[in-house]
Amino acid sequence: MWIEIAARNLRKNWRRSLFSIFAICIGFTAVNIFGGFTEYIFENLRESFIHGGGNGHVTVVKKGFLDQGRIDPVNYLLDETIQSSLRQQLDKLSGIAVVGYQLRINGLISNGEISTIFVAQGRQFSAYEAMREQARGIVSAKNYQGKSLLDNNVYEIGLSEGLSRALNLTLDTDGIVTSPTVDGYVNALDFKVAQVFRGAPEILDDKLLIVSLAFAQSLYDTRSVERINILLDEGIDTREFIRHLQQVCLTAELDVDIRSWDELSVFYNKVKNMFDILFAFIFAIVFLISAMSVVNTVSMAVLERTREIGTLRALGANRTQILRLFLIESGLLALIGVTAGLVLTLLVWWGIGESGLTWIPPQFTARVPLEVYLVPSYLMLATVVFLSLSVIATLSPVWRANRRGIVDALGHI
Amino acid sequence: MPLLVLEDIYKHYRMGQTLVPVLKGINLRIHAGEMLAIGGPSGSGKTTLCNLMGLLDEPSRGKLFFQGQPTSQLNDYQSSRLRNHTIGFVFQTFNLIPVLSALENVSLPLHIQNVSSDIARRTAAELLEQVGLSAQAGHRPDKLSGGQQQRVALARALVTRPSLVIADEPTANLDSVTAMQILDLMQQLNRETRTSFIFASHDERLLSRVGRRLLLEDGQILSDLKPECMAG
Repeated sequence: MWIEIAARNLRKNWRRSLFSIFAICIGFTAVNIFGGFTEYIFENLRESFIHGGGNGHVTVVKKGFLDQGRIDPVNYLLDETIQSSLRQQLDKLSGIAVVGYQLRINGLISNGEISTIFVAQGRQFSAYEAMREQARGIVSAKNYQGKSLLDNNVYEIGLSEGLSRALNLTLDTDGIVTSPTVDGYVNALDFKVAQVFRGAPEILDDKLLIVSLAFAQSLYDTRSVERINILLDEGIDTREFIRHLQQVCLTAELDVDIRSWDELSVFYNKVKNMFDILFAFIFAIVFLISAMSVVNTVSMAVLERTREIGTLRALGANRTQILRLFLIESGLLALIGVTAGLVLTLLVWWGIGESGLTWIPPQFTARVPLEVYLVPSYLMLATVVFLSLSVIATLSPVWRANRRGIVDALGHI
Repeated sequence: MPLLVLEDIYKHYRMGQTLVPVLKGINLRIHAGEMLAIGGPSGSGKTTLCNLMGLLDEPSRGKLFFQGQPTSQLNDYQSSRLRNHTIGFVFQTFNLIPVLSALENVSLPLHIQNVSSDIARRTAAELLEQVGLSAQAGHRPDKLSGGQQQRVALARALVTRPSLVIADEPTANLDSVTAMQILDLMQQLNRETRTSFIFASHDERLLSRVGRRLLLEDGQILSDLKPECMAG
């Protein structure tokens, strides 16, 4: 009976009810679509760092490298002995998909006429490609001209677009890099441009190279590496894996530092923080608008039905029953609004997927499909928040009406 | 034991800084099965007295006993429960719930008691039949005439088999024929069920047909004519 009274009153004041349902529906959809878009951004930033950048889920460096490695890189490299021991320990562990080695180098690059500084990532291309192959979303898009780099073609390297332009080093042209070795001698190597890639961070676009690990080690005249990147199998808990690996390394007395991808990806964390703040801001505004709409609807309903409340109280309904009646009413309002919001969210999600909309994300030159993810946790959160909102919005006006005397309420016009 | 005992009841309302006295020292006893009409000019305190006897309001001073129980000791839950189980109300403006049908309006007090839907509907249907409105059971209040609405209100007041029905100006919004029909109905129910009825009314036709007649003026009882006095 109480549900029927609530439902009929909503129907009776259908214009007002519809407005509130509309506010909740739009609010619910806005929150979930924006949340779904931020999740799409986060997912691609994750993918970009883990797979696209060839960093994997876990990175192992020599202890102290992350603090002191920039000032004194030579003393914080992982030598062959540590590499070998670590490899032995890693072979005993399950859940590892790919292991790759990296040595970052810097020096001068020349086209024979002019020189400029460079920074380079020396990589095992086979491992790097294996990681990229598992990339999903926009990261998997090809972002270079030329050919794939291979471990065997040691002297074939990749240049960032800006550097290629600055030195006029186009595909298949030759150049020279020079750098001090780990022992302090100057070394120089010839190279051939096999690849010109896009998407380097703006500040590095005229400086960045990708070279094979062997090329980097040869230039620095070392067999050491700077870091070991580990890509885990899908479904493996990164934190759990790190705990396990730390235990193993401690037992094997390996002096290493083990970090997860999110500890190392500064860009991901900055963007995530920014979007989290934006999301909270938008959520607060949407929530406030929806809350005001529900408060208005319930307050009007309570005000208009003061006499009805008086009658119900005269017939023996206690204050809790009156509150329950209005809670059912606002709960129904929120439930319909949330259901409509869910349908609209699905429609918008489907529409965006089907529309083929594209955009150019930061650090990309090519257009990529625009996507919005359906995030169950956001759907749940929005549902709980909007239902709670309706309850909270009801409490105050009904409490006020309930405090009013019965005679006073019966005399209300 | 009397159904209602009022001992030296005072009631005043605050209007701004001023206290406006409405009832001034009312003493009254009402027994089960009595039919009492309260008359008097506008502002004499009829409605206020009905509200106090129906536990819709509390006296400013004095004691009120319902079935021997002092009402001042009841909390909101207890007084709500007492109203629901033992008192029925008929209002001048009917006060039916507009979104409910006649049958649903009548069954409402039973739903407040958490009686099962089936029993509530069955009991409400019986009461509607008693007031001659079976055919209009599914009609909403806006589809009923004033007389029909007041019959529904009467059925609603009686559906919990209360000891007392309080009716404030029950015939004020009805034409004379319908008013007499409603009054006949209440008298019949009073005879058949021994339910006590208390009316507040200006309507001389109604006052003249009721067993006991109380006349109020300026918040005081001017006269209390019981059947034997009237007969005499």
